[in-house]
Parts: sequence; C-alpha cells; structure tokens
Amino acid sequence: MSNDILALGPFIAGVLVAIGVLLVDVVAPGKRAPVLVVALGGLAIVAALTITTGSAVAGGNGTAQIHAFGGAYVVDGLTTFLDLIFIGIVALTIVFGPDYLDARGLPLAEFSIVLLFAMTGAMLIAGSADLLVLFIALELMVLPGYMLAGYHKSDGYSTEGAIKYFLLGSFSSAIFLFGLAFVWGTTGTTNIDGVSTALQAIVAGTKAVSPALILGLGFLTTGVAFKIAAVPFHYWTPDAYQGSPTPVTGYLSVGPKIGAFALILRLFVDALGPLRLDWLQVVVVLAILTMTLGNLVALTQNNVKRMLAYSSIAHTGYMLVGLAAFAAGIPLGLQGLLYYGAAYSVMNLGAFAVVAAIQRRAGVTSGLDTFAGLGRREPWLAILMTLFLLSLTGIPPTTGFFGKAMVILAAVQAGQAGYTAVGILAVVAVINAAAAAFYYLRVVVYMFMRDPRSEEVPLAHGRLLWGGLAVASVLTVVLGLVPGPFLTIVNQAAHAIGG
Amino acid sequence: MLLTAVVFLPLVGAVIIGFSPARWARILALATALATWAISLWIAANFHAGIVDTTGKPLLPGSLGGGFQMVEAINWIPIFGIQYKLGIDGLSLALVVLTTTLSWISILASFAPIQTRIKEYMISFLILEVGMTGVFLSLDTFLFYIFWEVVLVPMYLIIGIWGGQNRIYATIKFVLYTLVGSLLMLVAILATAFAYQGAHGGVWAGAFDFEALRAYAGTTGFSDGLQLLAFAAFFLAFAIKVPMFPFHTWLPDAHTEAPTAGSVILAGVLLKLGGYGFIRFSLSLYPEASHTYAPLIIVLSLIAIIYGAIVAMVQPDLKRLVAYSSVSHMGFVTLGVFVFQEQGLDGAVLQMINHGLITGALFLLVGVIYERTHDRTISKMGGLAALTPVYAAVFGFFVFASAGLPGLSGFVGEFLTLLGSFTTNPWVAAVATFVMILAAAYLLWMFQRVVLGEPSAFLLGLKHHLSDMNATEIFTLAPLGALVVVFGLFPGILLNLIRQPVQSTLAAVSNATAIPVDPLFVSIGLGVVAAVIAARLLALRPRGPASGDSTAVTTVEGAAS
Repeated sequence: MSNDILALGPFIAGVLVAIGVLLVDVVAPGKRAPVLVVALGGLAIVAALTITTGSAVAGGNGTAQIHAFGGAYVVDGLTTFLDLIFIGIVALTIVFGPDYLDARGLPLAEFSIVLLFAMTGAMLIAGSADLLVLFIALELMVLPGYMLAGYHKSDGYSTEGAIKYFLLGSFSSAIFLFGLAFVWGTTGTTNIDGVSTALQAIVAGTKAVSPALILGLGFLTTGVAFKIAAVPFHYWTPDAYQGSPTPVTGYLSVGPKIGAFALILRLFVDALGPLRLDWLQVVVVLAILTMTLGNLVALTQNNVKRMLAYSSIAHTGYMLVGLAAFAAGIPLGLQGLLYYGAAYSVMNLGAFAVVAAIQRRAGVTSGLDTFAGLGRREPWLAILMTLFLLSLTGIPPTTGFFGKAMVILAAVQAGQAGYTAVGILAVVAVINAAAAAFYYLRVVVYMFMRDPRSEEVPLAHGRLLWGGLAVASVLTVVLGLVPGPFLTIVNQAAHAIGG
Repeated sequence: MLLTAVVFLPLVGAVIIGFSPARWARILALATALATWAISLWIAANFHAGIVDTTGKPLLPGSLGGGFQMVEAINWIPIFGIQYKLGIDGLSLALVVLTTTLSWISILASFAPIQTRIKEYMISFLILEVGMTGVFLSLDTFLFYIFWEVVLVPMYLIIGIWGGQNRIYATIKFVLYTLVGSLLMLVAILATAFAYQGAHGGVWAGAFDFEALRAYAGTTGFSDGLQLLAFAAFFLAFAIKVPMFPFHTWLPDAHTEAPTAGSVILAGVLLKLGGYGFIRFSLSLYPEASHTYAPLIIVLSLIAIIYGAIVAMVQPDLKRLVAYSSVSHMGFVTLGVFVFQEQGLDGAVLQMINHGLITGALFLLVGVIYERTHDRTISKMGGLAALTPVYAAVFGFFVFASAGLPGLSGFVGEFLTLLGSFTTNPWVAAVATFVMILAAAYLLWMFQRVVLGEPSAFLLGLKHHLSDMNATEIFTLAPLGALVVVFGLFPGILLNLIRQPVQSTLAAVSNATAIPVDPLFVSIGLGVVAAVIAARLLALRPRGPASGDSTAVTTVEGAAS
C-alpha cells in the first residue's frame, strides 16, 4: 500500500494543490498574489516529488518500474518525463495568464484550478497501465479543457469555440471508448501488458485475427487522431483555438496535445505494440496529410492566433513522423518524438505568451495588423517573438531545429532500413518546414518591416510575464545549443517503453 | 582558439552593441569587424601554405600534405557523435579573409546610407559574419549546416528592413528559395551520417566528422543510391546559393532591393558559400555521383554564363545589371569545379575570390551613385566622366576588371577555368570563351552610357548634390582595388595557398577520369536557353518593350502588390 501511495504521490500532490488554490480563493477572494504563490509553489513541490519518485524508480537505465494498484498504474522513466513536461506547461500557462485575464475581468483563481485539474489528468495518462484508467485519465484531462475554451463566457467566439470543442471532443471520446471495448472483447483484459501479450499471440498466428480487433483499432485511431488534431480530424481546432482566451489557446495547443501523445505512447506503442506494422501505414498517411494540410491552410491566415492553430496541426504531423519511424523499429523515432514534444511545448507557449501580452488591453485582436510596427513599439517582445517563430520554423541553433533534425534523422534511418514510405516522410517534412517559413516569417515582416497603422503606446507588462518569457526563451536556445544533457533524460524516458 | 575567435568575435561585438547606446553602434561595429579582420590576417600569417605537413615542413612531391591546420574539436552532442570542430586549409583561409575584409568594408560603407535602426543593422551584420566564417571553417557537417542557416536570418532582416521598395517580396523569395535547398541538404547530411554509422557497427562517432567522412568516401565509398540522392540534395542547396540557372531568379530581386552593403556581402560572400560547398563537400564525399552529374552541371553552367550575360545586357537598372553579371561570372565557378581538372579548379577558386572583390566593389560604386541621385536607371545617367572624374576613373577600373582585362584579377580566374575546360571539354570552352566577348559588351556598353558622353539632363538637374566620391568611399574601395591588381599580377600567391586543397579534392575524384561532354548536350542546353528566352519575350511583350528582363521590375511590383 505504501508503495501505491509513493507511486501516486505526484498525482495526489497535484490534486491537493488544485484544492489548495480553491480554498485560498475562498479565504481571500479575487486576490492575485496568494493564488499565484500557492499554485506555483505547489507546482514546484509536485515537480520535486515527481523527480524523487522518478529517481527512486529509475535505476541505471530507466527501464525499472513501479507497478501500483494491482497493475493499473505504473511509474517508469516515461511517466516522470511526461509528468515534468505537463507540470512545466501548466506552470508557464499560469504565469502567462494574469495580465491577459485582468484586462478582461476574468478571474485568475478558477483559471488556475481548472488548469491544475487538467494537469492531474495528463499525469494520470502518463502513468496508466490499464485501458480503463487510461480512458478516465483522458476525460479528466480534456473536460477542464472544454471549460477553459469557454472561459471568456461573455465573448461569443469563446462560447462558440467551446461548444464545438466540447461536441467533437465528447464524440471522439465516445468513439475511443468504443474502440477500447473492442480491444477488451478481443483480448479479454484491460491491462496494458495483458493486451500486449494477447496481441502477440494473435500476431504470432496462434490465434485468429478477428474483424472486431480491426474495427477496434480503427475506432481507437480515429479517437486519438481527434485528440491530437491530425488531419482529417482537425476541424475543431481553428475555431476552438481562435475563440479561446489567448493564454488558454497556448495551453490547448500544447497540453492536451502532448497528453494525447502520452496516450498514444501508452496505448499504441505499449498495448498495441505487436500490431505496430499495421498502424504504421495509417500513421504515415496521417502524418503526410497533417503536415501538408496544416501548413497549406496556415499560409492563408491573417490572424496570428488562427495561424498558430493551423501550424500546431502541422507540428502534430512532425511528431507523427517520429512515431512512424519508431513504429518502423527505429528507437531514435521515439526519442525524437519526446524531444520534439518538449521543444514544441516551450516554443509554442512562448509564442502564444507574446500574443497574449500584445492583447494586454481588452479589445485588441490577434490579427496580423496588430503586429505591425511591434519591433519599434515594443522591441523586446518583438525579438522574443522572432526567436520563438524561428524556432517553430526550425532554424538553428534553436530547439525547434534540433527537434526537427532528430525526427528527420529517425525517418531517414527508417527509410534506409527498408521502410521507404517513412523515408519519404522525411522529405515531405522538410518541404513542409520550408513552406512554414513563409507564414512564420510573415509575422516577423509585420513586426519589423511594416509601420503601424496608428501610433500606439507601449503597454506595461507584469514581471511575471517577463519571467515566464525569459524561461521559455532561454530553454528555446539552450535546448537547441546544448541538447546533450537533455537528450540523456529523453533517452532514459524512451528506454522505458523500448525506445 | 584562433579559429573560434575569428568566428565568434563578431558575436561578442554584437552583444556589446546590444547593450550600448545607439550612437556607439557604428564605431563599435567597425572596431569589431576590424579586430576580426586582424585575427584573420594573423591566422593567415601563421598558416603554412603549399604542400606541407601541419607544422609547415615541405613534403615530397606526390604527397598531399596534412590537410587542415589549427584544428579545434570538442564533443558537442556525443550521443550522435556531433562535434564542434573547426579547421582551416588554403581554400577556407582565402574565403575567410575575403569575408572579414568585405565585412569591415561593408560596415564602413553603411555609415552614411543607413540612418534608421542603426543598432539592429550592425548587430545583424555582425551575426551574418559569424555565420559566413563559420561555414568556411566547419569540419563537422552538422555544425556546417547550423552556420549555413545562421547566415539566412540576418540577411533576411537586412534586405527586409533596410531594403528598397519591394524589399519584402525580395526577402521572402530569398528565404524560401534558400530554405528549400538547405533543408533537403539537411536530410542528405543526416542520411550520409546514418550510412556512415551503419557501416561502422552503429557507432555514431565520426558520422558528422568531415575528415572521417572524406576518408570513408575515399576508401569504401558510400553506396551509389545514397550518393546520387545526397549529391542531388547538396546540389540543390549549393546551386540555389551560387546561383545556377535555373535557380537564379531570387538573386536579381534580392540584389536590387538589398541595401548597398547587403548586396556587397551577398555577391561577395554568400554566393561563394555555394561554390565552397561544391568543392568541399560534393566532390569529396560523393566522387562517383559528381562524375554522373558533371555533364548536367557543366551544361547548366554554360547556360548560366550565356544567359546571365545576355540578360545583363538589356537591364535598365545598374544594380540588376551587376546582379545578372554575377550569374554569368559564377557560371565559370561551377564550370571550373566540374571539369575535374587542376587548372579548372584553380580557376574556379580564383574566380570566387576575384568575383567577390570586383563585384563587391561594383555594388559599392552603384551605391555611391545611388546615394547622390536616388536612382539607378542607366538611361538617366550619362557623362559622369565630366561631372565626377574620380568616380568615373574608379568605376572604369572595376568595370574593366570585371570584363576580364588581362593584368587585373578578373582575367586570371576565367582564363584558368577556360584553360582547364579546354583540355577536357573543348566544345564547352569554345562556347564559354565566346561569351567573354558578351561580358565585355554589356559592361562596356553600360560604362559608355553611364560615364561617357554628354552629361544627362537628369544629372545636371541635381547640381551640387552630385558631388564626387568622398574620402570614406575611396577608402572603402582602395583595398579592393589594390587586391585586384595584386592578384591580377601575382596570382601565384593564391595558387600556392590553394594548391593543397585543390589537389587533395582532385585526388578524391580522380579515380574515374572526367567524362567529356557530348556536343549534343551543349546544343540541348542552347536550345533550352533559346526556349526560355523566347518564352520570356513572348510572355512580356504585351506589357512593355520586348527586351528580355527589362520589364521584370514592373512584373515584380505586380507580384508584390
């Protein structure tokens, strides 16, 4: 039992922090400082706990595991790694929130609480060892997301986005659950290791392949593709992203996405691992569609938030390239996927934070025109935005570049190992990266090369925002310039599920 | 440490400028660039030229020498065997010194024209210098790629912020062209590294190390399939940079819109990155594929030489004329490289250096006249000899150098290239030689229209605004002029410097002899030129005078709006 509590420690701590913020808001309603202290301080404790639990588990090579609650929950290198990413994402989102929310009269406390609960859901996904836990965790992660999307409830777009997000999200959850039922029906167990063993028997030919399994696999893929917003299951993203308050959009574009990738790692890589070569083909097609369509549509956007929304679809595609390479038997693919996930979180959150900072005054849109002349008006914001956009484009020496290089290297490796389709993915990915340069750099053009329509005064930004931006930008550069130490961590995490 | 210093000193300067008042930006930038130049000269003084070992001891005939000197290597990303590895040989030394020289000249030449956001301009320029020297000194393919991309961003900003009317169109075009090429090169670099790793039992060490890769390519060699694909990807990246026909269309736009100093660096150094890449990487790593592709590249070079010259002739804009002349002149570089012959390769390297000096100077001179008239239209000029005699004389000097007047450096490179091509591909050489007449024609005709004759009404209308060159301008051009004369009279200085890299590169590709080009290819190439030019003439006729690219300016404006 004590072992169980130890394993679940970080998760419990996360829930406690969320409740703590809730209580603080009851005691001192509407106060900003106590909420931030409890939320950020609490997150620091959760992070410390995650690291201690993780290092207690991970022996030399990170393959050691703790199984808890009768094998329903697992702590291994991957759990620790993903947990830390989720904690970081939520901490940065809370840091970037207050300025924007204040200007629109939206409360900070509820924002933080909902985010913290979403985080616990994502952390639970990362440690799921049972299909049912996996599903509950998924719902725990996405339900707060619907609330966040509609957080600006007096704003029509926010509400519209939230409803679309909610309807399509619940629909996809249902499909996903349906798929799980088929898998359970075929294999007779909900335990991930058990499913994997049962499927191995099927693949080895000792048991027949049932149509139900194929159907289940199809449903699962569809459900997950919705969650990561892979084309052609991406229709909810642009509206949900554009309508949501900007800090929320930043969170939605990384948190649930990385969470859904965690789900993929636990479900497809772990449980459905034996069927790797079957879903590999689907992933290749999804990756090509996702990268290409996401980029093509992003090219035509005039709203930066919407542009970033479509570009986040394209980034999903790059991560799928890593997944495809891993499915083709290249461990580097998984490492690339994990590295890319972390890199993408940092740079995308940074970019959204700048957009949020520019919208400090209520009523300022996120259209391209808002960015005209920013380089003169607020040079530091413009320089940071340029850094994040260059990183998203994949220009060295930023972390975005190194992430792309790793995924592409993995795909090239898979191509040379005989999986030509995955090799072609590498070429598709780089052509897409070049096309993406056009719309990312267009923002830079507006910031530095266009004069503003009207002379606007620079806005004051909180120290918290600058601090968060400093962390994001330093990480963006350092992870790209000296990736060595971080790669060691990534490798340990990847080892946990055979990468 | 010297090589690290020469690469990163400009970055230090850029950071200092970032935290200093804007009024110091100019002088700090110039001081940094001069200090970097001094270090590069110090490196040159300590460099052992010729066929020597790394300590400078002469070696027996037939030996190829120690290769790279002053090598610095640190493990950077050990998991993939990626190193921070710099090293220098004669080829990189020549190009590094060219870069550092042109950098301080460009910064000095920007003092007057650049009046807005000086701080940002100087920082961009110094970071540009980091990228350029880094490319020439990297001995790790991954590091090479990083520096290659680092060059892109500051140039994008320089054209996009301080450029002319259509700067945004031009700069986006420049970035997209370059990025498509370079990203495919990244795939090739990674594929090559993986092939090396696969052949060494999955050990990554050395997979990105240029010397290790070259040694492997020289012994076992990469598989044919990899060579053909990787060469094609490298080729695309380098061909866009050079730029070779038909990947050249970004160049006239970028040049026309860039500020003067941007054009100088673009023509002087950035185009050389492509030539350097061909010599350093394509030939050494993929020797068999080089032979396969050589005929195609030779034909494309010929087309570039002819097409560039013909199109230059009809340009109404001085800067566009010089830009197209670059396409023509850089065609000699790729031609010289791919005849796989010592004089040819010597000529190609010399042509790169000399084109950097001469075209850099020509862009500076166009900038001088533009500063005064705010116009570059050739038809509005005339009679500058009477109005600004010093300018006319200096302009004339560099025009003749560019036309390849014997005794000046422009001649040597082209002559050696032609000599080299003649021994292997006489047909190609014959056609290319004929084009030298065209070069003389467009340059001298331009010179006649701009400098000779009666002063035009437009220039007379400017009255006292049209002053002769000032001391700063003469000071920026003097070193270039001196080098043009020195290298013209004593090309041996450079030839001795590059002998070792040239011979070792040729040794890498000489296992198979150069494939002579079939005259059929030449005629097909000429047919393509004719078709392209005919197509352009037809497409442009309804909109204006049917004269090649003369209406391209309006087309560009139409596309940008």
